[in-house]
Amino acid sequence: MRVKAKAKDGVVSVMAVMKHPMLSYDMAKKQGKEANFIIKITGKVDGKVVYDASTSQFLSKNPFIKFKFKGEAGKELELSWADLKGNTKSKKVKIK
Amino acid sequence: MERRKFLGLGAGLAALSLAPVSVWAKDYRKELPNVWKIKNNEADANDLKGVNEAIKAIFGTDKPEEGKFKLKAPDIAENGAVVPVSFTLEKAKKVALLQSANPECVVAIWDIPEGAIPDYAVRIKMKKTGKVIVVADVDGKIYKVEKNVKVTAGGCGG
Repeated sequence: MRVKAKAKDGVVSVMAVMKHPMLSYDMAKKQGKEANFIIKITGKVDGKVVYDASTSQFLSKNPFIKFKFKGEAGKELELSWADLKGNTKSKKVKIK
Repeated sequence: MERRKFLGLGAGLAALSLAPVSVWAKDYRKELPNVWKIKNNEADANDLKGVNEAIKAIFGTDKPEEGKFKLKAPDIAENGAVVPVSFTLEKAKKVALLQSANPECVVAIWDIPEGAIPDYAVRIKMKKTGKVIVVADVDGKIYKVEKNVKVTAGGCGG
């Protein structure tokens, strides 16, 4: 997962790319695999939720997201995802 | 018997008090498990019956007002596997992204926490030409913006 967080005038802009095949039910069937995709993406600063997405099979492969919240540089943003099969991943980055 | 009832109640309360410790703030996958299964009319991407049903399930109304916020998506997407979609709202409580091109309607539902600015972007898959719809709950009012996206190469194939 790649995450970039930049603060400007009290607003933090985040760009993130998550590595995930995002295999939809249709694609999985064709490939003879089981569907699996990210269903939840959460961003937190100081334990407080700043981004909260429930997602489906229709995000692109290796999903790219952009979001904004009120915040300042120097703090740490923790971005996590969870997929249908229960795998999770998270990454912490310093807000620049 | 009385004692059992009382103990059962206690266990229930204990479970309830543990609930807020959940890792995720709002899980619409768990909260609205059926909304993700609502199907589009695969024969007609202009038929928004499924989309409207999903909007009703998420926002409690299927008659949202025409929105006044910005939705950005390409007029023509050469690659349906990667369609950039973004929207800009000053504030909202909840935002949902839907489309009429894939087997099911819902792409994502955002809960907008305090301090978040719903100026978001994602990349989505579209199997064919269809509509991209964003619905937002702003101060209890439901707004909708939609845009037609022509897909020249579908993105849900192998």
